[in-house]
Amino acid sequence: MRDRGGPLKGIRVVELTKVWAGPYAGKLLAHLGAEVIKIESMSNLDEMRAYGGVDINSAPYFVSINQEILSVQVNMKTPEGLDLVKRMIASADILIDNIRPGAMERSGLDYESLKAIKPDLIQCAIKMWGSDGPLGYQTGYAPCFAALSGLTAMVGHEGETPKGMNIRYGDSTAGACAALACVAALHHRESSGEGQFIDLSAVETMTSLVGDSLFAWSVTGKVPEADGNYHPEMCPHGAYPCAGDAWTSIAVANEAEWQDLCAVLEAPALAADPRFADLSGRLANRLALDAELGAFTQRHDAAVLAEKLRNSGVPAFKSMSSLDLCTDAFLWEREAYRMVTDHRNGTRPIIGPSWRISPDPPLVERGAPLLGEHNAYVYAELLGLQEDEINDLIARKVID
Amino acid sequence: MTPETLGALAGLLVIETAERVSGEYTGKLLADLGAQVIKVERPGGAPTRRMAPLQGGESALFAYLNTNKQSVVLDLDLPAERAMLDRLMTRAHALIDDHQVDWTERRNLTPTQVAKTHPRIVHTLVTPFGQSAPASLQQCRSINVINAGGWAYHSPSETPQGKPPLKGAGRFLSDYEAGIDAALCTMASLLRLRRTGQGQSIDISEVEVQLNRIDCVLDRMLAGDADPSDTRTAYDMGGPGTSFACADGHVFLIMTTQAHWQALCILMGNPAWASAFRNDWLEFDCTAANVAAFRAEFSAWVAEQSKLPITEAAQKAGVAMVPVHTAVDLPRHEQFSHRGFFQNAEHPAFGAVAYPGACYRMSATPVRVRTPAPSLGADQREAGV
Repeated sequence: MRDRGGPLKGIRVVELTKVWAGPYAGKLLAHLGAEVIKIESMSNLDEMRAYGGVDINSAPYFVSINQEILSVQVNMKTPEGLDLVKRMIASADILIDNIRPGAMERSGLDYESLKAIKPDLIQCAIKMWGSDGPLGYQTGYAPCFAALSGLTAMVGHEGETPKGMNIRYGDSTAGACAALACVAALHHRESSGEGQFIDLSAVETMTSLVGDSLFAWSVTGKVPEADGNYHPEMCPHGAYPCAGDAWTSIAVANEAEWQDLCAVLEAPALAADPRFADLSGRLANRLALDAELGAFTQRHDAAVLAEKLRNSGVPAFKSMSSLDLCTDAFLWEREAYRMVTDHRNGTRPIIGPSWRISPDPPLVERGAPLLGEHNAYVYAELLGLQEDEINDLIARKVID
Repeated sequence: MTPETLGALAGLLVIETAERVSGEYTGKLLADLGAQVIKVERPGGAPTRRMAPLQGGESALFAYLNTNKQSVVLDLDLPAERAMLDRLMTRAHALIDDHQVDWTERRNLTPTQVAKTHPRIVHTLVTPFGQSAPASLQQCRSINVINAGGWAYHSPSETPQGKPPLKGAGRFLSDYEAGIDAALCTMASLLRLRRTGQGQSIDISEVEVQLNRIDCVLDRMLAGDADPSDTRTAYDMGGPGTSFACADGHVFLIMTTQAHWQALCILMGNPAWASAFRNDWLEFDCTAANVAAFRAEFSAWVAEQSKLPITEAAQKAGVAMVPVHTAVDLPRHEQFSHRGFFQNAEHPAFGAVAYPGACYRMSATPVRVRTPAPSLGADQREAGV
């Protein structure tokens, strides 16, 4: 395999992952330089390869996640296939899965069994509720684990049923936390020679994102609720309507910012209004304040207003739609989006990693793999099989 | 586990000059994983020490964000004290910062300067838009970041045009997301440091973390597989899934298949109104009108149900309906208890508290709160400054 550099160069990950959370963990490790091998088979495809009934080698959902991932085909329903998987795991540093609770154990891929063939293995299992316990058997979609976590209850317009974050929220963060725990475990192995089992709960991933609110509840007894855009120490604090159904977010933390906001909006009456003279007054009258502010912001283009406010020292940014994001010159220039190779179109833009690392940045250049694209590398180079052995495995659909 | 169990990052020394939630959470993740994290505070203390909610004059936010850390006070504007930071950095493996460029320039702590003076340190800098962004952008706060990254505009799902985009759960959702990526990268680079002796500069953009978390939705739009638009529902999946009010709280229901629908009908006792829907309506007739008609009937039924019994029955029946848990539900929840997610402890100022823990149970190196957030300058002497 080519040298991609990066901080995780030399680390090998094997993944039995599907859909989003697991593949996202693999992606982050790959984007840090790890060699990540995804085990797949025709009879047990990642659903993302099939989404929309398109070509399994260019399915949009799949290729938008799995860049710099290697793909090897194995039919794990055959004993020989399972044995090959174990040999791959024996050559790896980390194994990640997010398949159904109990499935790894049924295949003899539980941590205790794998430790026998790879004593210092780091194994990470991503499940909705973790790997054991009274509800460990349950599975669910991302909005379910957001609801179970305590996060959904805290997101909504004030006084309404809490609707939570967008329905897509949750999987990717669970994957990010899995990657984080795996790299932490690499340090422990570096220090002690010992591997370990990491049991990740997607529900608790979401809970950890509201940790400060839960901790505060244990201190103050005040139950956190869906509170719109309320902030106890900033007012105005929210998204304000602008021309053409657009919105701009504004966060005012002190009196100077408040006066500057009123100046930019050419609203001297607001600036002088005794109801809004200080933070406590603005908080007490914030619904009235938001309505009055909205009447002013409505006259402006969202992006132009936000820029004017920032230039006056008031933190503000347009609330970005998907169209805004896709066409944002700053993001393209900074390589927040970048191009990778693509089997169908030659190149494809991807959402690049959130990090820049120097020197020795990890290269992210290759798009998602074809199914089995790296069979030869894995079987011949890693496992040392001969060509005729590989051909025989293909003929008997062990490699499938 | 025994109290002597070392964390995964035992032996690593991290200096934290960060003063915002994104950087302090990065430090917390590393400290909770066992790194020695020395927080460098300005005279008078980090700004987070004064942030709400306060109880008896102490910040619960600070107490949460700074578990397992040590505290030293240094006035980095004074050359002698700035030199002490250099001495600390000479011993340290990583430096975590989250300041704007004017702050780092004034204190000779830009990535270029740190790489030159301390080539064996991992220097992580978390900022709203990343290095090279115009200074005016870097003043953005959490609510601006989550709006800049697109999640606010699309949350909650199905928000009509006339209602404001939302900041997310709590005040700091984008900071926590950024802290995860920052801690991940820092640890990856620390591994390289252990193997090569070389440090690196890491530049984390909080907005780009937001973008990355929606990769398989937004990237399809970037690549032309789906159309980007100004609609608030551009990230949505359609279908009847949403939160509903019940007798004692809220439940969340998601349904995508005929099997889900049939199971729900049985759970509801096969009400007459259900027969107006095709058996396969979720797959083949999931129109806005049908979703609205379903929700009207279902809302009336579920409004009479109690959160925990009905969701338990739903799980058994194969219906993906779950309780919308509140803070009160979690510490007494059987699965959270089983996993020991909350750690009960005695806090010096607050008394009995429950620390939310990590979402990963690590068999060899469990994550624990070993020490509460430090008092200001508590470790001045031990740190040798």
